[in-house]
Parts: sequence; structure tokens; C-alpha cells
Amino acid sequence: MPKLTIDGKEIEVADGTTVFEAARQADISIPHFCYHPKLSIAGNCRMCLVDIEKMPKPAISCNTVANEGMVVNTKTEKVKELQKSVLEFILINHPIDCPVCDQAGECKLQEFYMDYTMTDSEFHEEKVKKPKKVDLGPNVMLDDERCILCSRCIRFCDEITHTSELCFSERGDRSTLTTFPGKQLDNKYSLNTVDICPVGALTSKPFRFQKRVWFLKHVPSVCSGCATGCNIYMDYDDGKVWRYRTRDNESVNQCWTCDAGRLSYPLHNEKRVTRPMVRKNGVLEYSTISDALGEIARALSSLGGDEAVLVGSAQESNENNMALKKFGQTCQIKDLQYSAKPKDDADADNFLIKADKNPNRAGVQHLGYQEFHGGIGVKVVLALEGFSETHLSQLREEGPVAFILLATHLGPETELADVVLPAATFGEQEGSFTNFQNRVQKFEAALIPQGMVLPAWKWLEKIAQELKQPLQLSAEALLQEGFGLKFADLGTEGKILESKN
Amino acid sequence: MADIKFNEANQKKFEQLLKRYPQKRAAMLPTLWLAQEQYGWLSPEVMTYVGGLLEVPPSKVYEVATFYTMFHLQPVGKYHFQVCRTLSCQLRGAEGITAQLKKRFGIGIGQTSEDGRFTLTEVECLGSCGTAPMLQLNDDYHEDLTEAKLDQLIESLE
Repeated sequence: MPKLTIDGKEIEVADGTTVFEAARQADISIPHFCYHPKLSIAGNCRMCLVDIEKMPKPAISCNTVANEGMVVNTKTEKVKELQKSVLEFILINHPIDCPVCDQAGECKLQEFYMDYTMTDSEFHEEKVKKPKKVDLGPNVMLDDERCILCSRCIRFCDEITHTSELCFSERGDRSTLTTFPGKQLDNKYSLNTVDICPVGALTSKPFRFQKRVWFLKHVPSVCSGCATGCNIYMDYDDGKVWRYRTRDNESVNQCWTCDAGRLSYPLHNEKRVTRPMVRKNGVLEYSTISDALGEIARALSSLGGDEAVLVGSAQESNENNMALKKFGQTCQIKDLQYSAKPKDDADADNFLIKADKNPNRAGVQHLGYQEFHGGIGVKVVLALEGFSETHLSQLREEGPVAFILLATHLGPETELADVVLPAATFGEQEGSFTNFQNRVQKFEAALIPQGMVLPAWKWLEKIAQELKQPLQLSAEALLQEGFGLKFADLGTEGKILESKN
Repeated sequence: MADIKFNEANQKKFEQLLKRYPQKRAAMLPTLWLAQEQYGWLSPEVMTYVGGLLEVPPSKVYEVATFYTMFHLQPVGKYHFQVCRTLSCQLRGAEGITAQLKKRFGIGIGQTSEDGRFTLTEVECLGSCGTAPMLQLNDDYHEDLTEAKLDQLIESLE
């Protein structure tokens, strides 16, 4: 356990800790490009140079092991001079096209320049020109001129996905990030390279030129793409979600997210149900809220509790499923089933992507729902959205008298429904999903629901009111009642459910 | 394209090479040399083959092959003229040598003549400053060049 002094702070660290990590533990930040906590040490950017007393030359802190009695300086004039020189060197061939660069606003090079240099370049020769628009793969675009050759993306493909698509060709100022001739950067996690690119070299094709990042606001959220529940930031503005970014959670997704999940954000923006609809003479038509609620009340009050089925959804939150269960208790409907998207074993891997494409199967199961199996004699179905094709065709065959759907999206489900109420996505309400580890994870509301859209639990409150049944709900109370948890308990890492057995 | 594979002699040489190094991938440079000797240049297929032999991804072979200028990533002609362009040769008339070759074959630097016979490149110092200007034709040096000497050299080629 060596003790060392960094900027006058004495700190004791574990054997083998690098000076960089030791500084981080002492809350001293050292600027860096190529260092990444989940990747091997490359030591090629030279940005983390520090001055270590009694050592003849400055050392890169990321690759220098902390030793007993070391005295490290990271903020002295000498170090500032080093940082200035390194940045000037890195910027020699950089195009400085920040005004048209997507990374501007979240660019390490830009930030460090403002923090450490702020001087004009002394380089008056012609810059090396490189390709500015290289189609690296289905999701990633490369601007070679902006690349600072830190090799994070190469190491990601070598060490995390083990696909090794990326490499540097040539040498010196002609070094270029590229793929093997004829090959593409095509793996299920390729967009993580965009995340870890400290500059604007790698950009996400779907996000490219869409939005200036300084306009984006974000909330912590959870990806709904599969049972893993990768932690994300939902970046939003103008009533739209513009992208998901990965959010660190060491016990779930570390600092990675798969491409498919990351690109599922248009679900908040597209093909939404925004107004209630009621089927009249076989055609689904827009209606008023009161007409739709009246229609639902008529259907539900016409029969006994055992003739109705409540169908929760593994696509929906813990809170909305709990609300449906509470609704059942109030209206004496006991048959609780849940719908779910089908498993896709071919797509699954042993990293982040699960075959179960539902973010909340563990949650609905915890609440006592049975997987959808239909039932003879069922006349009314009140359901949250999330039916698979198979379940939907089964429902079609059974042909209930009334199929009431709290739907977020237009699609095959709404085509079959008799009454549709516009429900909010998980981006438009506070709530939680329970992932495959039984970890309850919170998501926050990014958007205000548009039009007549409401969270499903609010619709259930209104339906109960229409039926003259007392039902007072809130997301917090639903989580508490169904899972014995408060939102505050979930923190940023979520909370594992105690086993019921 | 026929299957990419070392011929028998090269396969033997390759196996000998592997014994020299603690790790297979360390034999990268000599293995690429062998492959270039056999095929004349390093096509993507050849680099993939070498990667397979050395148990490294093709992209890592590509990194090495592009790092060194003496590996050809494009086919070169039967006669590859490499004219030294570093200081001593430059002072003694290398530019004239290059111009003569350009004119004679109707090609630019880094290009191959249409019949695929002649390739012209400029290279850095070949360590023969005392006999400048000079060029390397395939594996041989031709020194103290003059216009007449170069003409003679070209005439002597098949």
C-alpha cells in the first residue's frame, strides 16, 4: 500500500495503482484522451503528463505505477507548459472545424483547449488532408481529419467486442483510422465507439447533423430494448427524444449499450396514439375522452368480474402494471395475464443483449401476472400495449366483445382494439422497470405528454371514476405497494428485489 | 482467384521462421516478405491468409503492411524502378533520372505502365550516396547514372 503525495495531498493507494488512478481517487482530475477505465493502457496521447519529483523526465500518469514516497505535481507551471505543448502538437493537423462538428459542445479537445491552451497555433505549414466522410459501417461515420489517434475505438473492438474491425493504416502524420479493405465496422455495439471517441472523428449516423448538443437536456432513464435494462441518459428537446446515451452502472451495463437499444429512441416520437379512439361500425374513429370512457364503462359494467381479463404488459412499467392490478382489485376482476414481445434467441449474446425483448418481465411476474393464455368465455379485455403477434392472433380468434387498449403506438394492436386510450411512453412519466436480475431501476420523465396522452395509471384512475369506484393512484404509491420500494431507494444503480420465497 | 497458400518451399521457410520467435505474431514482417515474394504484392486475400497463419485479425496485418513502404498494397510491374530522391542523389541529378523514366514509360510517380511491365517510385536514401544518382531496379542497384546509362539499362530489359 504505497503512500504518495499528489499536489500536496497525501494519499494511500492499493499496490499497482497508477498515478492517474491515484489522482482520481484523491479527486484530482488529470486531462486525458486515450486513457479509458475499461480499456488497456495505450499511453499515446501524452495529455496526462505529470511532473514527478526526482524523476528525470515528465511521466504519463496513466502508465506510471504509484510508488512509496512519490511526490507528484499536476498543476505546476512546468506541467501547464507540457499540456500546452501536447495540445499544440495534437492540433497541428486538426481541421478545427468546430462550427460544423457534431462533437462541439461535448468535445474533450475543445474543452482542454479552452482549459489549458488558449493560444494561437504556431504551425504555418499546410495541414495534412484526410478523408472527411468515411462510411465506416451501418451506424458510424468517420472524419479522419478530426481523429487524434488515441486508439480507444480500436481497443474497444479488440478488447470488448473481440471483433477487431478497426486499425490504423500508414504512419506518422499519415496515420489514418480505418478498417481492413472491404470490411466494415459492423458489430452490435459499434456505437459505443462514438461514445468513447473524445473528439468528433466518430459520429453516430442517425444523430449526425440532427441537433446541437448544447440544446439537449437529459434525464436518467433505462433502455426498454431488452431485459438487461441498460442505464441511459435520455437526451431531449423540443418535445422530442433525440438520442440515448449510455449511463454508467457497473452492475448492469458498465458503461456500454448495444446499438439496437440505443437506436430505439424514435419510439417516443413516431407513430404515437394522441387521441382516444372508438370503433364504430367496424371503423376506429377519433372520439372525445368522455365518449371513450363511457364506452369502456358500458362494456365493463355489463358483465361479472369473471368475464373480464386484465392484460398487463412486460413492455410497461412496474407502476402501470400495479395500477392495473389495483384496478382489478377494485372492480373484482381476478384474471391477470401479461403480454410480452417474443424471445429472440438468435439475437442474444452473453454480454448485454438478452433474448427476452421485454424490459419488465420480472416486474409483471413479481406482481403475480400469468403470461397471456387467453380464456374461453372472456368477453372484455382491458390491456396495456405489448402483445406479440402470436398473442394478438390468439386474441383475434377468441374475439372478445370488447378489447380496450391503453396504447402508446398505432399498429396491429390498435387495429384490433375497440376502444383505444392514448398512453404515455416511459419517456413521458416517472416509473421503473425490473430487469432480468430482479433489479428495479428508475426512469424519469423527459417529455410532457402531448395531446390527450396520459400515463396508463391515470387512465385507469379515470376509468374507475367512470365506474363510480374509488381509486386514487400515484406512481410513488404504486411502486411502494407492489414492490415495497420508494423511488428514493432505487438511487442511480437500482435495487434488487428480495426474493418472495 | 486461386487459393492463397504458401508454396512448398515458402511453407518450409515459414515454419523455420516461427521457431525464431516466442510468439507467432512476432513473425509478421518476415512472413509478409515471404508472401510478397510469392505473390508480388499483398492483396487483402494474402493479408487475411497471413493473419490466419499468425493467429491475428486481418486488420492487425494491414496495420503492419501499411506502416512499411516496402510492402506493396497494389500490384507492381515486372520491373520496379525505385529512384533515390534523398539529398546526395538529388544534388547529382535524381530529378533528371525520374523525368527520363516518366517520359520513357508515360507514367507518373507511383504508377505502373499500361502493359503492367514498369513501375516507377521515388524512395528515400538507399545508402549509396557515394555513387549518386542511383536507383534500385527490383533487387539490384544501378549507380552513377547518366541519361545514356539509363537508356542502356532500359534497352537491356526484356
